[in-house]
Amino acid sequence: MPDNHEIADTSAVGALDAPLPRKTMSINMGPSHPASHGTVRFNIELDGENIVKLDPEIGFLHRGFEKSCENVTWQQCLPYTDRLNYVSALCNNFGFLTAIEKLAGIEIPERAKYIRTIGAEIHRLCDHLTCVGAMGMELGGFAPFLYAVEARELLWDRIAELTGARVTTSFGRIGGVERDLPEGWVQKVEDTLVKVEEFRHEIDELLTHNRIFIDRTRGTGVLSAEDAVDFGFTGPMLRASGVDYDVRKAHPYWVYDRVQFRVPLGTTGDNFDRYYMRMAEMEESISILRQCFAQMQPGPHIVDDWRFVLPPKPQVYSTIEGVIGHFKLIMEGVKIPKGECYSFTESPNGELGWYLVSDGSGRPYKVHCRAPGIQMVGALEHMVKGSLLPDLIPTFDAINMIGGEVEQ
Amino acid sequence: MTDEKKPTAPSEAVPAGSVSGIQQAPTTTPPADAGQRPGGEARPAPAAPPNVAPASPAAQQAKPGVVNATIDGIPVSVPPGTPIIEAAKSVGVDIPFYCYHKGLSIAANCRMCMVEVSNAPPGKLVPACQSPVAEGQKVTTNSPRVLEHHRAVQEFLLLHHPVDCSICDQAGECKLQDYFMEYDHDASRLDMPKWMKNKRKDLSPSITLDQERCIMCTRCVRFMAEVAKEPVLGAFGRGTREVIDVFPGKQMTSNYQGNVVDICPVGALTSRDYRFRARSYFLTATPSVCTGCSRGCNTFLDHFQGVPYRYRPRENMDVNQYWMCDIGRGSYHQLYEERVAKARVGKGDAVAAEAVRVAAEKLKGAGAAVVVSPVLSLEDAMAVMLVAKEGLGAKEIFVSGRADETGDDFLLRGDRNPNRKGVELAAQAFGLAVRGWNDLGKSKAKAVLLAGVDVPAAPEQVAAWLGGLDTVVALAANDGPVAQAAHVVLPLATHAEGEGTFVNFEGRAQRFLPAYPPRGDVKPGWFWATAIGAELGLAYRYASAREVFLEQSRRLAAGALGTFDWDDAPRDRIKGVTPLTGGTVDGRPPGWRQLVPLRTPNTAA
Amino acid sequence: MSEFALQRVAERFPDAVVQGYAYRGDETLVIQREHLVEVARFCKDDPELDLKLPLSVTCVDFIDEKPRFELVYTLYSITKKHHLRLKVRVGEDDPTVPSTISVWRGMDWWERYCWDMYGIRFSDRGPMKRLWMYEEFEGHPLRKDFPLRGRQPLIPEADIQDIYRGPGPGPGSPPASRSNPPRPSQLPIVK
Repeated sequence: MPDNHEIADTSAVGALDAPLPRKTMSINMGPSHPASHGTVRFNIELDGENIVKLDPEIGFLHRGFEKSCENVTWQQCLPYTDRLNYVSALCNNFGFLTAIEKLAGIEIPERAKYIRTIGAEIHRLCDHLTCVGAMGMELGGFAPFLYAVEARELLWDRIAELTGARVTTSFGRIGGVERDLPEGWVQKVEDTLVKVEEFRHEIDELLTHNRIFIDRTRGTGVLSAEDAVDFGFTGPMLRASGVDYDVRKAHPYWVYDRVQFRVPLGTTGDNFDRYYMRMAEMEESISILRQCFAQMQPGPHIVDDWRFVLPPKPQVYSTIEGVIGHFKLIMEGVKIPKGECYSFTESPNGELGWYLVSDGSGRPYKVHCRAPGIQMVGALEHMVKGSLLPDLIPTFDAINMIGGEVEQ
Repeated sequence: MTDEKKPTAPSEAVPAGSVSGIQQAPTTTPPADAGQRPGGEARPAPAAPPNVAPASPAAQQAKPGVVNATIDGIPVSVPPGTPIIEAAKSVGVDIPFYCYHKGLSIAANCRMCMVEVSNAPPGKLVPACQSPVAEGQKVTTNSPRVLEHHRAVQEFLLLHHPVDCSICDQAGECKLQDYFMEYDHDASRLDMPKWMKNKRKDLSPSITLDQERCIMCTRCVRFMAEVAKEPVLGAFGRGTREVIDVFPGKQMTSNYQGNVVDICPVGALTSRDYRFRARSYFLTATPSVCTGCSRGCNTFLDHFQGVPYRYRPRENMDVNQYWMCDIGRGSYHQLYEERVAKARVGKGDAVAAEAVRVAAEKLKGAGAAVVVSPVLSLEDAMAVMLVAKEGLGAKEIFVSGRADETGDDFLLRGDRNPNRKGVELAAQAFGLAVRGWNDLGKSKAKAVLLAGVDVPAAPEQVAAWLGGLDTVVALAANDGPVAQAAHVVLPLATHAEGEGTFVNFEGRAQRFLPAYPPRGDVKPGWFWATAIGAELGLAYRYASAREVFLEQSRRLAAGALGTFDWDDAPRDRIKGVTPLTGGTVDGRPPGWRQLVPLRTPNTAA
Repeated sequence: MSEFALQRVAERFPDAVVQGYAYRGDETLVIQREHLVEVARFCKDDPELDLKLPLSVTCVDFIDEKPRFELVYTLYSITKKHHLRLKVRVGEDDPTVPSTISVWRGMDWWERYCWDMYGIRFSDRGPMKRLWMYEEFEGHPLRKDFPLRGRQPLIPEADIQDIYRGPGPGPGSPPASRSNPPRPSQLPIVK
């Protein structure tokens, strides 16, 4: 804990008029706190209610992601990536696989691109719902959280039907996705999206014009565009400050160049804009999903190359080629050619970058996940310095720090 | 090129590395037919050309007795007669092959190693193992035509290959698997039932033949004829019906038949001792030295989670070339059979420190006879002799060891102990006289320190004799009558559990690396010797075998170990693979991970 | 993607650039560590490069090569829409690199990560604090010679039968012999 130190005002005129000597108060907003979602410890020095110094301490969820990845095969890294941004696992999965495919030079089939886009957008909805709901809850309103979580549950039901798991999906394989969409799933998702829109509308009505919410979030945690860029912000946090950078528009990947969507842009860079970015992006995500369903054509969902994809099971059990392919891919791992690459996608919290180094064997030499949240938590002090302690809450909520990706 | 290769015992005057007068180009990668694929380097492409100095054509021709060519654009200069496949390996170009083996004659029947050369007959590829490098030749190993050829040969070999990977021992070190993933990686086009042959023919108590898996490379036939000098294998039949078999009425009895398991590129010939016991990709291969006889064949000890599974020979042209004998192969069983796990005082287990104290107390001033087994490493022996000389005041040491048996004219030697020469050198260095086992009976010592319980006589007899003595302190790895007759037993680590040096019969010092850490109270011999010495009042404290060697080897006569350098150990680490802390498992097979000794930094104490 | 960025930096700092190449569309510049800060500042301030968004700093441990560590800076320009990768090699005897937080403040926590995980020191900034590990931790976990299970508990662990045991048969099972060879089949629970 930082030492208390005196604040002396040397411009005293007279003994009775002189300001009283004050000390700053060091408090610890400990790792588990009802108003911060995520395990982060804040060492805060307060002058009255104003924050003088803020030192966030992270690492409570550090599980050795990079080290674990270096000791398993490329395909076995996939479940580790689920656990990074565990609220939007599909974005992590697909981002990681896109990086591998870039390094290996594989082009995935069209349908796989659509399925990846669909999965990523659904999990983007989940992540934004979580952030918005938690923001409302931590500012005192529990109802928006319930609506957000209900909408998230409906989406997770659809994801469970698609991948087998709600959160830790491990969907996607090198060269495509694990399986095609189930029968009737598209119609179910369309129905769910209608309900999600209703919930989003409810949250909007509860929060966007809510006096308390506006008072707490308008003008708090302000970050100028230049500072945001200098700190390395990406995603909704950056766009709230007015910088127009969305990876899906700047460097389109999968099918984002074939769907129409707008990218909301903020003006003031305060917490309200950040909240509103997420609300607007949810609308756009729903629109993207509908367009994908309309555009998708039947086709293969994974490339047909046994250097990267497991052979079909009937061949594994009956032909020597199949069993050899299966064996080598599982035991030695997919052999990605030697080299390195940086690949990036737009995850709900910002640009999720992957720096991969391969040594030509079936195991990664290095897997570095550029989590969008790290630099934002690092910039937290800059954002709230001088403001009131309660302003820390919506700022930290708006960052939407997911412990899994920031602490890997 | 079907020259008859005469395998010579390496102690004869054959220039190192020469085979029938053909100089092999030096290689830096382990031979691909040892079942290991070299780990890739971690540098990203843009690949720098391998470290061959590109000489100008004029400068190349200037050197006499050397043939110049280019392989994939890389210039090579090799002695005349070098096959293309060896020239390519010397510059880092790997040409696939099945039937070629550096230690055997060339058959060129697998047709896998075909490459494009500029001076070939029109429209033909040439086998790289059989074609010597020609002056000014341009060899291409990665053109689409060559790659399609590799792919086609691979497909043909797999046509009637049984679907056995799940039950085949060779999985993980099988060339068919490796080359399939590299060249073919595509579905089967076979539309008929596979041809069936004898799937489980026992050729001998140690070798099983699966004729369906055989790809008729005839490496085994050539090996048995040329190296083992027991030509009992042959190829019978023609076409699809062709099989490998023993000649009618013949049996495989050679002491070197275990090598056919190593050289068989597929799972046709497998070892019955190893059958179904382990998957090769779970095994970690540690460079080690065989302790079966005084030749000290270089080996790989394959182990998994502290359990040894087999020995494989490691290439060393000066000692064992590419081979090892079956007696040496089987010696890995002693590494785990009936081990002494805890220190013993009398009949009951004891705490190690207490046992050491009791041992030192009993030996002090008792005029103890120190018996050193030549199975111990040089460091163990030196530490024991140091304590014997300075702590116990001994003037001589007795050498025990396994009894002599008959050797043969190839690798096996009559002296079945790996380090007799080392023990003798160490005794010389410490100024101790060397006495034989029979002298021990004649000596009137009533106390005996047995460093290693390998005895040349029947163990029960020895145990009976030991029972008549006042004090017997034994450093024992394997339990048995001799260890049980001792009053104090200290559990000794085998050579797999520590590192050290063996000096073979030629005076060649060879380092072996630790495979897995010892369990429980088991410690290496130098540790126990130092501990007893500490109890006797000596000031030596050693933390590793390396320290023992570096300090005590100064006493050895100058040049006794030739150019041996402790730190110049064989490479055992796969680049970039994280080591596991010694003694831990993480629930998953470690595969190619290496174990590090218990005292790594940053581990929980 | 053009090699424009590589050329521009190489022209301006000919002695700083060791190597420049593009692989899979990623431009990469290997530069000398002494010139890191000035090259970084140029990348940020030059109107043609305008690499104002600092994405990350990471480190790769090439344990079998000298110099051992390779620091990788990933930068992006929002206006010009291009990435650039800067690489700096440092050896393990002197793993010090000038800090770039004076150029981009966002590199702060990534540099802390490099210190925590690899032991790379950054000069010209305050004392480095670990990012993910606790301060009492010894060693740098992501180095290749740090074991995968390098546990360092600060409080004594409870004596429970967990799965992280040494290999081999436990008490009560018959001793190993040739007819009953030891097998690792007792995994994952070995008492």
